[in-house]
Amino acid sequence: MAADRFPSPFDIETPPGAEGWESMYDWYHLFGPERRELDEGRFWFADRLHHPDVLHPYDEIQCECWWQALGAFNTRIFAMPPAFGVDQRIVNGRLYVTPVAAPAEDIAARAEEFGRRAGHYYERWDAIYAEWKEKVTAKLEEIRSLRFDPLPDLEPESTVFEHVGHSAGFRMIRDFDRLVLTMYETYQYHFELLNIGYAAYLTFFALCRQAFPDISDQSISRMVGGLRVELYRPDDELKRLAKEAQRLGLVGRLSGTDDAATLFDALRADDAGAEWVADWERTADPWFLINTDPGHPGGYHTYPTWADQPDIPLASVREYLRRLEEGESIDRPTDEVLAERDRITAGYRELLNDADRATFDETVALARQVFAFIEEHVLYIEHWMWATFWAKSHELSRALAAMGEIDEPEDMFFLRRYEVAEAIYDCVAAWSVGSRPRGADHLRPTIARRREIYTALRAWEPPPALGPPPTQIDEPFTVMLWGITTSTVSEWLRADGDEGVLRGTAGSPGIVEGPVRVVTHPNELTEVQPGDVLVCPATSPSWAPVFARIAATVSDVGGIMSHTAIVCREYGMPAVVGTGNAVSTLRTGQRVRVDGDTGVVTVLEPDAERSGAGPSRTP
Amino acid sequence: MSGAWILGLPDPASADVAAVGGKGAGLHRLVALGARVPAGFVVTTDAFRAALGDTGDVEAPLRDLPPDAPIDAVERAAAQARARLLRSTSTGPVLDAVRTAYDGLAGGIVRVAVRSSAVGEDAAGASFAGEHDTFLELRGRDAVADAVCRCWASLYTARAVSYREHAGAGPAGAMAVVVQEMVPARAAGVFMTLNPANGDRSTVVCEAVWGLGEPLVSGTVTPDRFVIDKISGEVVRREVASKERCLLRDPEHPGTHETDVPAERREQPCLDDAELAEILELARRVERDAGVPQDGEFAVADPGGPARVHLLQTRPETVWSTRAPRAATDGARSALSAVLATLTRGTSAARPIHEGTPDHGG
Repeated sequence: MAADRFPSPFDIETPPGAEGWESMYDWYHLFGPERRELDEGRFWFADRLHHPDVLHPYDEIQCECWWQALGAFNTRIFAMPPAFGVDQRIVNGRLYVTPVAAPAEDIAARAEEFGRRAGHYYERWDAIYAEWKEKVTAKLEEIRSLRFDPLPDLEPESTVFEHVGHSAGFRMIRDFDRLVLTMYETYQYHFELLNIGYAAYLTFFALCRQAFPDISDQSISRMVGGLRVELYRPDDELKRLAKEAQRLGLVGRLSGTDDAATLFDALRADDAGAEWVADWERTADPWFLINTDPGHPGGYHTYPTWADQPDIPLASVREYLRRLEEGESIDRPTDEVLAERDRITAGYRELLNDADRATFDETVALARQVFAFIEEHVLYIEHWMWATFWAKSHELSRALAAMGEIDEPEDMFFLRRYEVAEAIYDCVAAWSVGSRPRGADHLRPTIARRREIYTALRAWEPPPALGPPPTQIDEPFTVMLWGITTSTVSEWLRADGDEGVLRGTAGSPGIVEGPVRVVTHPNELTEVQPGDVLVCPATSPSWAPVFARIAATVSDVGGIMSHTAIVCREYGMPAVVGTGNAVSTLRTGQRVRVDGDTGVVTVLEPDAERSGAGPSRTP
Repeated sequence: MSGAWILGLPDPASADVAAVGGKGAGLHRLVALGARVPAGFVVTTDAFRAALGDTGDVEAPLRDLPPDAPIDAVERAAAQARARLLRSTSTGPVLDAVRTAYDGLAGGIVRVAVRSSAVGEDAAGASFAGEHDTFLELRGRDAVADAVCRCWASLYTARAVSYREHAGAGPAGAMAVVVQEMVPARAAGVFMTLNPANGDRSTVVCEAVWGLGEPLVSGTVTPDRFVIDKISGEVVRREVASKERCLLRDPEHPGTHETDVPAERREQPCLDDAELAEILELARRVERDAGVPQDGEFAVADPGGPARVHLLQTRPETVWSTRAPRAATDGARSALSAVLATLTRGTSAARPIHEGTPDHGG
């Protein structure tokens, strides 16, 4: 029987063992009695796209960055006509969000403002985007230059002879603020272009759908995609390294199973090997500064980058080498994708009303223009900026642990960022005075308790949504980014769905069958076998190499513009995205049929033990 | 000046609608396009006139009717006209020529379909669909000659007479008849080069059933329905019907028989992706050649596969093709005004419209 609403956020119980979880997060991020009337009337959904797991207290900053910046650009800067920001609350360590609609009576006035403001950007898009890259690259250099070392017993002589005029302790306080504020500032730039970009993209969708009610999302995306965007550069670098290994005669030496450190040491023994390792090291900065979180890259401090864990990109290089040795082409078929893009664009254009062709031309041109940013900003911000932010945070945590302010580096991430600032002050003051901080002795019980809470929270299965569902979901960004529609919500409300059938968004066309491979952490990517159906919370660009091996992808979150959908369309393999619960429902080894035309995943062989055999036929 | 009585479908003279009727000329065009069309010939309008000879005025009983004659009076007058026509045409050299032409098809042993091809039918604006007779699965020279006569006579069924009046087509002209080998159909159906439900010209809608297509055309069964994107080739929707009964050729005797579809095939789609791709390709070629949206009939010969898809006929689509394509913008000219229009009217237009199928949120 279907319920007509989701549980009230005020009725959600704390999981056993997680009592006191509220202290891990900022008070303004929680449901509270002051906003109860407002918040109980709203529809909240779990933001598993950006935050599929329990938040560490320190990582809450990730949410804050987009909470404020997205809101300000939609609501206050561009006056996005129908949409204000996206409000956030944390419940049991999980992020829930609700898009806030602009009041209907304001939409006309906002449209006029938006026309002038966003119009200014659209007219100068390429130039503004070029400026944008410079701004963000400058911010990246800024946080790269921050250093967090244990404070010295005695300041270096340079402090004196160069008249620096301040202490290493002061600089630790200052640089932590800089680290946070620079990241925060970058997030302003993130939304400077993103939502007006999406608005242009969405407009092209709407135009196509109006003219061709039957057109698929994939066809529309294909008319816009296929550009040589920088986002693919990291994967292209891996392919280049594979070809270099072939050229240098290193195929045999690379084909083993040694880990990266052992292999690189062995390779350095001769000129050819050393040349290749040097090439790898040059390439690693910045191209391997790639986060490996499933879903929104950079969302957590806990996932390594390729640079941190070179075994991940090395596995991909080996896979590419294997394919090269078998005579396969590993090059991205960009020219074909572009030719196909032009062919279908011309095909649909020809069928239009004469009066619509000029608008179609302008709209597709703008959509293509913004699309490069929509794709590439992920590299600049989600990868480079966040990877550097987390790396610097780890550097700070090691310094604090070395000074005894915390027992071990990971402890720092169980403190909120304001608490980290306090701990830094405690540490710096004691260091300055030559005294003793309250430090680890004071923080130890809090951190120990929070570790328990964190574990208890991870065992909690969050409901997909809270509160009363809206009769219709048509807020453009909810639909486009999260893939959440009126029917998704009804599906969530339906207590018992079809046994063995999962429904999601048709992300990339085609139908295949294969064994399930559930992957929730990039470490598990090495277990993926050729022909597997990858089942994951979401994919990340850092996972790109695995797409060469798999037969289809099924993700918990994401819409047609999610990374999973885009990459699968590029690789020409089926994808069903935004299923909500594929990871918790499907088990590795089960045979499934993935129908990327209709967005349906069907379990063919519920018994995971019997699977893994050769191809089977559709009944 | 009198022309040939019998014309092969590939014969250039078969391009002349006045000689071979709408269906005949359409089939000639398909053959000229290189489409797979069952072998056959046309009994021309000249043959019809020659067979009538100087019998005089078969239409007299109809012409004498008052303009608002009751239906039974129309029925009676039509029957008299048919009787006059059959009497005067059922013997003579024209039917001998038909028999000889039938003998020329695979040695006179094949099963054929005999279909009327009136001048003026199948033109854009009026479909005349099903207003004249069709005979299926005939075998033998005399059966064919007899069916040709009956096609001629179907000019004067009451419904054909009424339809002509309704369509303002005036008195019956001459009737050509198409004789074609029967495709031993594993599946058959119709296609349209636009979606008749919404006028979307980027799709080909295809409906099909197991066996022969006649039950589908006459609307007595629910077919499978496929919506195919013309540009990308994707099958964007598949609605597989439960197909309980089908019409098959009678294995023993000429003719057809209706039978149960085996249980395991009822819920199976009756066309596979390769066959759909072939139908899409044919539909696009036909539409491009005609310059206006088309509908058509096809059959897939046993045991199926894209190389066994045959076109049985095509004609201009008569509802949407007279209108302009759907408007996509509300007169917005620039990209910015289109963005504003999208953001202020809500985004329902930005989502898929699922028609008759569950919306999977995609």
